[in-house]
Order: sequence, then structure tokens, then C-alpha cells
Amino acid sequence: MDNNGQLKRILIATVISFAFFVAYDYFVLTPQQKAASKTIEQNHTMEISSNMNNSVNKTSSNTAKKTVTIATVSAKNFQIKIDSLGRISSFKLKQTKFNTENGKHLELVNDKLPKPLEIRFENRKLNTLAFSIPVKADKNEIVINDKPKTIVLTQDLNSEEIITKKVTFYPDGHYDVKVTLSKPVIYYITPGYRPKVAVDKLTIHGLVVKKSDGTLSIIEDGDAVNETIDNALVTAGFDRYYTTLLYSKTSYSVVIVPDKEENPVAFIKTDSNKEFIGYIGPKFVDTLKSIDPQLIDVVQYGVGTFFAKNLFFLLDWFYKLAGNWGIAIILLVVLVRLVLFPLTYKGMVSMYKLKELAPKMKEIQQKYKKDPQKLQMHMMKLYKEYGANPLGGCMPLLLQIPIFYGIYKLLLYSIELKGASFLWIKDLSVMDPYFILPVLMGVSMYVHQKLTPTNFQDPMQEKVFKFLPLIFTVMMATFPAGLVLYWTVNNILSIAQQWLINRIMASKAHK
Amino acid sequence: MKNLKTSLKEWPIKLIKFYQSFISPMLGNNCRYYPSCSEYTKIEFENDNFLRAFFKSTLRILTCNQLFKGGIDYPVVKKKIKTNFFIKKPVIKYWLIPVNKKDEYIIIKAEKWTITDN
Repeated sequence: MDNNGQLKRILIATVISFAFFVAYDYFVLTPQQKAASKTIEQNHTMEISSNMNNSVNKTSSNTAKKTVTIATVSAKNFQIKIDSLGRISSFKLKQTKFNTENGKHLELVNDKLPKPLEIRFENRKLNTLAFSIPVKADKNEIVINDKPKTIVLTQDLNSEEIITKKVTFYPDGHYDVKVTLSKPVIYYITPGYRPKVAVDKLTIHGLVVKKSDGTLSIIEDGDAVNETIDNALVTAGFDRYYTTLLYSKTSYSVVIVPDKEENPVAFIKTDSNKEFIGYIGPKFVDTLKSIDPQLIDVVQYGVGTFFAKNLFFLLDWFYKLAGNWGIAIILLVVLVRLVLFPLTYKGMVSMYKLKELAPKMKEIQQKYKKDPQKLQMHMMKLYKEYGANPLGGCMPLLLQIPIFYGIYKLLLYSIELKGASFLWIKDLSVMDPYFILPVLMGVSMYVHQKLTPTNFQDPMQEKVFKFLPLIFTVMMATFPAGLVLYWTVNNILSIAQQWLINRIMASKAHK
Repeated sequence: MKNLKTSLKEWPIKLIKFYQSFISPMLGNNCRYYPSCSEYTKIEFENDNFLRAFFKSTLRILTCNQLFKGGIDYPVVKKKIKTNFFIKKPVIKYWLIPVNKKDEYIIIKAEKWTITDN
């Protein structure tokens, strides 16, 4: 009766969890993605309604006016357009690997306002002027080869205020911007609305602000409220893979304004000449680090960021060693097994002792056949008497969970791992389209089970245990290939280890 | 306040119960201790305060590996016993065995006694 109950519960749990994932994907994720792409189209003409200040609010209607491109910046990897309001109105990545599904260059600047480097004034009159008087650029085309080049954008607001933006573009896509005012006045400058390239329900997107004391404020889309963050250094809007950010070495205040969907829009508030470093582009950790180590925190992994971040450095180190992310994952498994080796070695030693105990164990097993609780207790007593304990313990098992979760997060968020190929797998961050890896995982799991001596008190539990490889194969089929790779290699190493132990045991028994 | 306290302890217990009935059977017997880590944690959360239970359970799980002996290790819990003389039907869930220190008890889960047991 009890056995049947156990079996039923396990089967029910497996079926329910599997059904949940399939249903969740079908009913929630897919429609949401469709809806998201629809709203983006609808919002095309919509402006942000900011209620932060009257003056800022005012601009909404003004900005609806058509602007023209006054300057273009082109480099090997990107093309930038600057419009007549002195904003970056377009930032396209030229590398084909970033191309959209219909083969166009990827656009990183969101249709929604504000655009990167947009300036607004607290003074209402100035603000109206700023959105009606066109900005003049000293050059209308620059081509960057290997040296950074500078463009100066000047806006003369009826001589009441002359504002200059000296923007220096670097070949890696980041830029320096120096804002100079003819006389001090309160103004707002923004890194722009976050990119909308990779926005889904599975990953977080929104705004991250890093303060000078190192703390982070992460405001996810849909959670924004009016607030001001002081002593900020980095302000970055981000989606799954891309970011647009402004960073300054001296701290500033950021005003956060929710838009209609309660997504955060950030404005840096200041009243003096100020220098920023900006970056629009993919969140490559190396690129961000080379601009400034402070920017590494722009890469957020959602819940468990701390763990995923450190795991990334480890995996990245392996990648640089091996040159392939698949091999890097394999090396990670090897490392984990090496760390656990002292434990497994201890286990091997106690296995020897256990051989002598076999008859006594049989006796106990016979005696407490019907009471697994009691059986477990008496086995423990026996182990203690002989100083041997063959069980692996809970810790090594639990240790795998954070690693597994960390890899999952990396495969979800790291643009470095997007499109990482390994043998027949084109992209480790999505499922294996040929289902080879999940099947390999199931087979390796089955072999490992065959090799591992198990002592089930319960025949039903044993039956379920035998079905596990099949259940896992089905469950893991839709998981990112990188994750299944980790598990498969882990199984194979376990098999090798177990095979070795069994051989040593056998040779020992012969003597 | 009391509500928060109980719910703080209820969640871990629920989680453990879920683990014990659905996840643990898939993993097989691994624990080096008796009672097993999950059982120990459950008893701790049911009988001790949240922080102490959390700390002791974490320690228990961390030492549950090949470098430590394992074996029989019952939870020892600090508890003030309130005597109630008007209980009608005592339902015995745990046996509390006093140790030398004041207000500290070894906790053993009560089970139905059978005569065939020896």
C-alpha cells in the first residue's frame, strides 16, 4: 500500500512538473512574446509621459516632431546616427552575427523616448527652446578606423544658454561625452531607453544603477516608481543581452521616472559641466571591463547573480584556455569532480571495509525488511561499529544544485555563450535540435545506475529508480544544450570513477 | 508578530515535506546520518527557533560528506516545557529526552510501537 503510494506520488510529480513547463511555455511565454512584439509596434508613435517635472513633461509633445540626422559615425563594427536634437537616434551593429531574423543590421536604440544623450532642462523656457532649435555638428560624417574621433555638437538657445557636447567615439563602440554649459543651469542627460532587442518574460530587463559605495539598485521593468538615487556612478538600461549606459568617475544623482508600463526611465540630474563615458552595445564582460571595471556589474543574471557572476569568471577562464565553450563546460565538470575527489577517495576506502560487513548487513536487512526506518538506524549502528560508511552524503549532492543553476543562468544571460557551438550543437544556449545530447544523457545515467550498487529497501522505489533515466531524458530534452552537456559529462565521469572503484574492489576480492 | 514567526517556520517545513515525498525518492539513499538530514532539519524547524534551527541544519548538511563520520545523531533542542494538566488525549509526536543541560532535550520521533519489535 505504502509502496504504491510512493510510486504514484513520484509519477504524479514528474507528470505535473513536465506538464507545467509545457503549458507555461505554450500559454504564458509564447503569447507574452507575441504581445510584447505587438505593443512595441503600437508604441512606435507613443511618447513617454514623464511626470517628473512639468518641464520634462512638456517635452513629450515637442519631441514628436520629426528630426533629421545631422551626423553619422561609422566604424568597422557599428554605425551611429546623431539627430538634430543632439541625440543618438540610431546605433546599428554591423557584424552579421548580431543580425536580426530578416537579415538586417541590429538596431540598439529603442523607438521609445528618451534617446541616448538627450538633454532636458528644468527651466521650462529653456527646455522648449532646446527642443525647437536644431543642434549644429562640426562634422557631418566621421569614419573611425583604429583611432578615436571627436564630434562637437553645439546648441545655441537664443544666447541664453549655449550647450556643447563633445563626443569622442572609440573603435570598440564606447564613447566619451563632455557637456559644457555657457552658464550653470539644472539639466538632465540620459543614457536612453533600454534596448528592446532581447526582451522576454524569462529574463530580467530594466535599469541598473551602481552607487559610489558599490551598492546596486536594480529596477526591473514594470516595477518603477518615481525616485531619486544619489551618489550614482553607473546608470545602465539593459535587456537580456544589450545595454545602453552612462558612467561618470564623479558621482551624480539619477531621477527615475516610470513610463506608462511602469518601466524605468533614467535621467541624470546635474547643473555643471560634466564628463561621462557611454556605451551602447552587447554586454560582453571583457568589453565592459576594458572600458572600466566598474561596468562589470551591468551584467545582471536575475536571482543568483552573485553566484552566476563568479561562475562566469571561472568558465571564461576555461574558455580562454580551451577556445570553446563546450570544452570549458567539460573542464568545469572535471574541476568540480576534482574538488570532490578527497571525498570520493574516502568513500573508496570505506567500501573495502564494507565487504567484510556484507553477511551482517544481510542479516539486518532480513530482520527489518518491513520497517525501512528501523533498518536505516541499525545499518547506521553497524557502520559506526566498524568505522565505515558507504553513503556519499547530502553535501556533495546539494553542491551540484548551485552549479547547475549557475550554468543555467549563464546560458540564459551571457551573450558570450549565445551561439557558442560545440561538435554538432550550433548553439549551447538553446536546446539540442537533434536530441542527441539528451539521449546520451539518459544512456549515461542508465549505465551509471547499472554500475552503482544500490540498496533499496523498497522494490517499488527501485522500479521508479530504474525509470529515472527515461524520465530525465524527456525532461531535459528542451533544456539548453549546455546544461545537458554538463549533466552528461558529469554522468560519464561518475561512470569512469565507479568502474575504477569496482575494478579495484574485484582485484582486492581475488586476493 | 506571532504569525510571522510561525509562517517563517512553516515554509521550510513545507518545503522539506515536499522534498521528502517527491525529490528524495529520485535521489536514493545518500545520507550518512540517522535521522537523515531532511528529517533532522524538519524536527529542528518544528521544535527550535528559526535561527538556531537554520544554523544547526546547515551545519548538519555541510558535515554530511565522506570526510565526516556520520552515524546516529539526534537533534538536541532547547525548549521550555509548558505543563498542561488538562489534556484529554495525548497525541505523542516526539519523545523528549532531557540531557544534562537545563531546558535541552534530545528529540526522537515517536512511532507506533509494535509488539514484534525487540
